[in-house]
Amino acid sequence: MAKEDETGGVSAMEVVGDENELKAVGAQLLADGRRGLRIHGWEIETRKRSILNSSTLEEWEQKLGTSHLPEMIFGESALILKHLNSGTSIHFNAFDALAGWKQEGLPPVEVPAAAKWKFRSKPFQEVILDYDYTFTTPYCGSEPNKINAEDETEAISKVTGSLLWDDCEERIDMVALAVKEPILFYDEIILYEDELADNGISLLTVKVRVMPSCWFLLLRFWLRVDGVLMRLRDTRMYCGFEDQKCPSILRESCWREATFKDLAAKGHPSDASSYSDPSIISQRLPIVMHKTQKLVIPDDL
Amino acid sequence: MSDLDKQIEQLKRCEPLKESEVKALCLKAMEILVEESNVQRVDAPVTICGDIHGQFYDMKELFKVGGDCPKTNYLFLGDFVDRGFYSVETFLLLLALKVRYPDRITLIRGNHESRQITQVYGFYDECLRKYGSANVWRYCTDIFDYLSLSALIENKIFSVHGGLSPTINTLDQIRTIDRKQEVPHDGAMCDLLWSDPEDIVDGWGLSPRGAGFLFGGSVVTNFNHSNNIDYICRAHQLVMEGYKWMFNEQIVTVWSAPNYCYRCGNVAAILELDENLDKRFRVFDAAPQESRGTPAKKPAPDYFL
Repeated sequence: MAKEDETGGVSAMEVVGDENELKAVGAQLLADGRRGLRIHGWEIETRKRSILNSSTLEEWEQKLGTSHLPEMIFGESALILKHLNSGTSIHFNAFDALAGWKQEGLPPVEVPAAAKWKFRSKPFQEVILDYDYTFTTPYCGSEPNKINAEDETEAISKVTGSLLWDDCEERIDMVALAVKEPILFYDEIILYEDELADNGISLLTVKVRVMPSCWFLLLRFWLRVDGVLMRLRDTRMYCGFEDQKCPSILRESCWREATFKDLAAKGHPSDASSYSDPSIISQRLPIVMHKTQKLVIPDDL
Repeated sequence: MSDLDKQIEQLKRCEPLKESEVKALCLKAMEILVEESNVQRVDAPVTICGDIHGQFYDMKELFKVGGDCPKTNYLFLGDFVDRGFYSVETFLLLLALKVRYPDRITLIRGNHESRQITQVYGFYDECLRKYGSANVWRYCTDIFDYLSLSALIENKIFSVHGGLSPTINTLDQIRTIDRKQEVPHDGAMCDLLWSDPEDIVDGWGLSPRGAGFLFGGSVVTNFNHSNNIDYICRAHQLVMEGYKWMFNEQIVTVWSAPNYCYRCGNVAAILELDENLDKRFRVFDAAPQESRGTPAKKPAPDYFL
């Protein structure tokens, strides 16, 4: 089990609503030490575990075909949302996110010190490593094959894309989400994190909250390469409980990116310490991609 | 009981010193550290510790496992500050022990013992929060400039925070560095504090960031051979199991911050060397919640959007 935060603060513990609130909407907490709940035909579960040990890390390196992975991979942590009637399920896990990173394969970003290093005398026998050390991923969740959905260990890492997400004009109603409905369940899971050898941060997290009327989640990839750039790739999903016969999920992806140089030119601060919390500064980063899609959950079994 | 002993007792309770006390302590520490070599000689038996990162209560676990200073002779490989919640108390306790028992504890510099890095990764903010001004941060970072760069145990084990540098072939070359400065962005001093061993290169590798060296097995073999040392002991990289050998036991990474950042769930290790340099790794867990100063409290539900 992942251990609790020293002050019981920021990211360690799930929040569970009080018993009466849960009862009133017919929600049940999961049993047997699992974190999460069942509500209106959904089972929502979070798993928080330690970072991978060295031997599992080596296995992942082989499976992913790389010798470079983030230094902190919470490989057995996950968020799983299952629609029980249809068997549809959506997972969030580090393995699939890293498969996405490997596939996207962006070119490396040079840190400010690199300019000076170009003038250093080269050692005999020097290899220049070339991979995206920022672990930038286009990941927006996994949809395990329904046939395998019974066996989760099999299902994880099989991204089949069998679900049909259609582009749509509809947007997630953020105003409605700002209403302070009671939160029945809340959790935040880190999927992977890297300190970029003290040159910034690369962090993939997913947060979920479940209210009487809906569930809502935010998958966030946050990158800051100190003195160079920031990148924010958010995917939000929303599912209202009003139509239980034929539920649908809205998925909104919004990618933002800015260089420190651009920000300085606009009069914003350009020191790394002003950019520690992405939710505070996200508006300063221009949008580079935005799309909304809808998934109507198939009624078949 | 002397003032210094009282301060040590106070710091062991995780209570920071007054600003004026910090100033006086740093002045005394400076007198001791300025005399140390860039390759500080250390006698065995000694216990080697890796990164601590302000995890004060976990460092207390470390002392429980390894024994108290001065009974146990310690070598800390740097990265005392940043990331954890108690960088101030952690560094001041180590520094007070250094002043009180200069021959029983050796502190060398990590890449976080730098003005630039501590402004981004926590120590600067912590000083402002705890003292209301940056004065304590200034005293401490001035002391960082005096910390030695490496240690040599019984002429046989070379210890450094990060690793090797392509511009360094002999220990004498380290001895000639003028270390009393902020950690530079390049050059030998930078490499010693920043570089990492890497399996997939044999010679030297350059990080994809465009700055930062990686060194392979043959580099370590050559260095150990030319300097007649048995192996290199370094820190700087998180290891889930607390320690990790590489390149046929020619270099070992020791990591001493359990449950790093209070969420990784890793164990930590220290390396005990007896008078014959026989090794024993002591692996330990994070301090239990109830031994920490602050009680766990549930966070308010987060209405994130």
